[in-house]
Amino acid sequence: MKFVYRIFEKVRPTFEEGGKLSLIHPLYEAIENFFFAPAAVSIGAPYGRDPLDVKRYMTAVIIGLLPCVLAAFYFYGLRFLPMIIVSYGAGFVVELLFAIVRKEKIAEGFLVTGLIFPLVLPPTIPLWMLAVGVMFGVCIGKELFGGTGRNIFNPAIVGRVFLALAYPSQMSGEVWVKPGHGILGRVLDYVTIKTPTGPDEGVMATVVKFFSVNADGVRSFFTVEHIEAITSATPLGLAKKGEFIDVMRLAIGEVTGSIGETSGLMVLCGGIFLLITRVANWRTVVSILLSAFIMAFALHQSNPEKFASPTWHMFAGGLLFGAFFMATDPVSSPNTNGGKYVYGILIGAVAMLIRNFGAYTEGVMFSILLGNIFAPVIDEIFFSIRIRRLKNEE
Amino acid sequence: MKFTGGYNILPDGKPDGRVTVMPEPEALFLPLKSARFHFSELCVKDGESVNGGDTLAKDPDNFDVPLLCPRTGTVSLEEVEGHIVLRDISCKGESVWEADDEEVAHIEQKVGAGGLKRFKMVSLGAWEYFSDAFSGDLPDPLSVPQAIIVSAVSLDPFVVRGDVQLKNNLSRFTRGLEHLQTLLKYQPIYLVLPAVKSDFASKVRDMIRGYAWVSVIEVPVKYPYDNLTLIARKLGLKRSDGPVWGLRAEGVLAVDTALTLTKPCIERIISVGGPGASHATNLKLTVGYPTEAIIKEYCKDKPVVTINGGMLAGSDLADGGRGVTSECRGITFCMEHVDREFLGWLRPGFDRKCYASCFMSAIRIPFSESYSNAVRGEDRPCVSCGFCEDVCPSGIMPYLIHKYLYADLIEEAASARVDLCIQCGLCSFICPSKIELSKEFSDAIDLIEQEKEEERKAAEAEAKRVAEAEAKKASEFEIMES
Repeated sequence: MKFVYRIFEKVRPTFEEGGKLSLIHPLYEAIENFFFAPAAVSIGAPYGRDPLDVKRYMTAVIIGLLPCVLAAFYFYGLRFLPMIIVSYGAGFVVELLFAIVRKEKIAEGFLVTGLIFPLVLPPTIPLWMLAVGVMFGVCIGKELFGGTGRNIFNPAIVGRVFLALAYPSQMSGEVWVKPGHGILGRVLDYVTIKTPTGPDEGVMATVVKFFSVNADGVRSFFTVEHIEAITSATPLGLAKKGEFIDVMRLAIGEVTGSIGETSGLMVLCGGIFLLITRVANWRTVVSILLSAFIMAFALHQSNPEKFASPTWHMFAGGLLFGAFFMATDPVSSPNTNGGKYVYGILIGAVAMLIRNFGAYTEGVMFSILLGNIFAPVIDEIFFSIRIRRLKNEE
Repeated sequence: MKFTGGYNILPDGKPDGRVTVMPEPEALFLPLKSARFHFSELCVKDGESVNGGDTLAKDPDNFDVPLLCPRTGTVSLEEVEGHIVLRDISCKGESVWEADDEEVAHIEQKVGAGGLKRFKMVSLGAWEYFSDAFSGDLPDPLSVPQAIIVSAVSLDPFVVRGDVQLKNNLSRFTRGLEHLQTLLKYQPIYLVLPAVKSDFASKVRDMIRGYAWVSVIEVPVKYPYDNLTLIARKLGLKRSDGPVWGLRAEGVLAVDTALTLTKPCIERIISVGGPGASHATNLKLTVGYPTEAIIKEYCKDKPVVTINGGMLAGSDLADGGRGVTSECRGITFCMEHVDREFLGWLRPGFDRKCYASCFMSAIRIPFSESYSNAVRGEDRPCVSCGFCEDVCPSGIMPYLIHKYLYADLIEEAASARVDLCIQCGLCSFICPSKIELSKEFSDAIDLIEQEKEEERKAAEAEAKRVAEAEAKKASEFEIMES
């Protein structure tokens, strides 16, 4: 890899102070440090350091998301690829602009936001809307507070709530595509809700006349394979009407919903990986799921006709995805271990209340946002308890 | 005792149990400064020939702790700055402490029989092994401690282990303990042993079975549970109840040397090890042994960093001067970081041990890693992962204190008890954002101390001013009256 390093050495002066492109030094630095670990050495004790850095930490989350991403391609086809690209691109632009203005380094947090964001959206969302959402989330939800590590809200949730409130018709209703099934699923399809678009009819006529070929054959050859989506209500939407889908179908992913939350089992696979690597804190996850389970169980016992069973609630909608990937964001969740329990209980309970009694069909998103708001307050309480206890230590 | 936090790292180059006697050097370089001591009061002249055991210098700020001459030779004061250099060394003529009877009688009359023992310990170099468990400073030899903590465990990778110090010396160890007991009235001696089943530990237990005044404490073998401050705190000892003397296995042996043999304690066993060491072992040498000779002998040719002490809590050996100081417990060679690794954060990492199991090494059985002094990542804002709190043995919240200090909220940091930090270095070691937490904390502790000192001085000055003003007033009054 010497030659790659030589290229960096060669172009470095251009980006350093006084160089032609010194303005985008953060971008250069991010790329250089992406390829080559920085040369910094410890100035004092401890002399060795743990190999984990923020890059790897964020990469672990991305690895945890991989089962969901693969499932997304299987269920909803190739359209997910441009979604990821747009999400990363738009988020990165905002991140870069702020880094240039602040003269700071580009932090790795957006690597996770950029991948989580398309996973929490309906599969038919227009790409420009996705870009607006991720830019809003990164800008308002994170950068205005000072960037990764200083934000109080999970940027992906801020972006999603923004979209849900600003464009309700594209975020709910007839936007939920039935996931693919069979061996290949929709891996080779490009799903939209538009009707198929073929080549221009005028051009078609000329081509047919000129080559004297079968018009249908040409049309089918040139038509981009736009599969018209078959939309249907989400399990949570059906539940409002008192119709509960079988839990096994929810777990495997035979139902409609946001891209990442379709298959509960896939979310579990990635989520458990995060717990094992300690990147997600188990206290948050366990307390969210447990409080939601207990709440749902109590409601179900009171009226089994109206309220779904607790296991149904576990796998329906975005509860698992939210609990494992969004609520566990260490920055926006409380720091103290005790606080994490309280935060989890709050999120689980509020999510169940919104689902069962609210006007919205899904409450996980709002409950996590609410948890984010309360996290600093919860922390303050636990800090003061801890500090009071420390007071008499020798 | 309930411990929290702690974490074991396992670098390459663990010293074996053997002790190698180092050959006599051409010259000894005795540093006048070490972490605790500053031997500013010289007792010898340039060119003077001295005997082993003579006092070369004293530290007037630390109860006149002497810098003992390790060998017979000629003193040179000017040769290296900050050092006393001893040349023409020979082993002969090491003096047994012989104060004349008159002096002994005089001292005994002045401070009593216990005081004489303490006097002997100070002047024969055993006292420098003692430290106050809470502050880490040298305790007052004439003070009465509320307890003595003797630790036979050392867990910092790598400083010399207790069992290496005590090998073949167990009877001397118990005799040393007895001597310590005679200095006390009814205060307890806590003996800290590792909570593992080993021949050595059971032997020690057998030896001290009859001693009711020794209570054995078992600590899990997890860094830094051997820390004296931590143990004192976990024992529930209070600073206000008097000093707690802390010492390690070698300290007890030194007490025995000083009080039974009445010989100066000049031999020391230190470890050499670490990823950059060619051969990790323990060395028997004297204070002032030239570090260059050790580096030449035990260091691989690669660029390495030499550390005085262990990897996690040591300091740069070069800061200590050219010779081994009296407080050195080990020399660690850590690889100097030179290469910039290509896509390091993407590698599977079977060879890199990680606290958070984010690398493939998590599926391996424990192994030793070849650490370099690289920071291994870029510095970032805290992401609140909470690992620092998990590993902190003191039970404080490093991330919170960091945030306070980042915002210059010194008072809040003080109320979050930054002073409880024992400088084990684990938080800095673990931090994925590569924040120099333990350095920040030690700076903050110094700053708080300094502010307190200034406040105290200001209050004193104020009191003095008020007293003077009153005296002036009174005198004016007197004049008026007369």
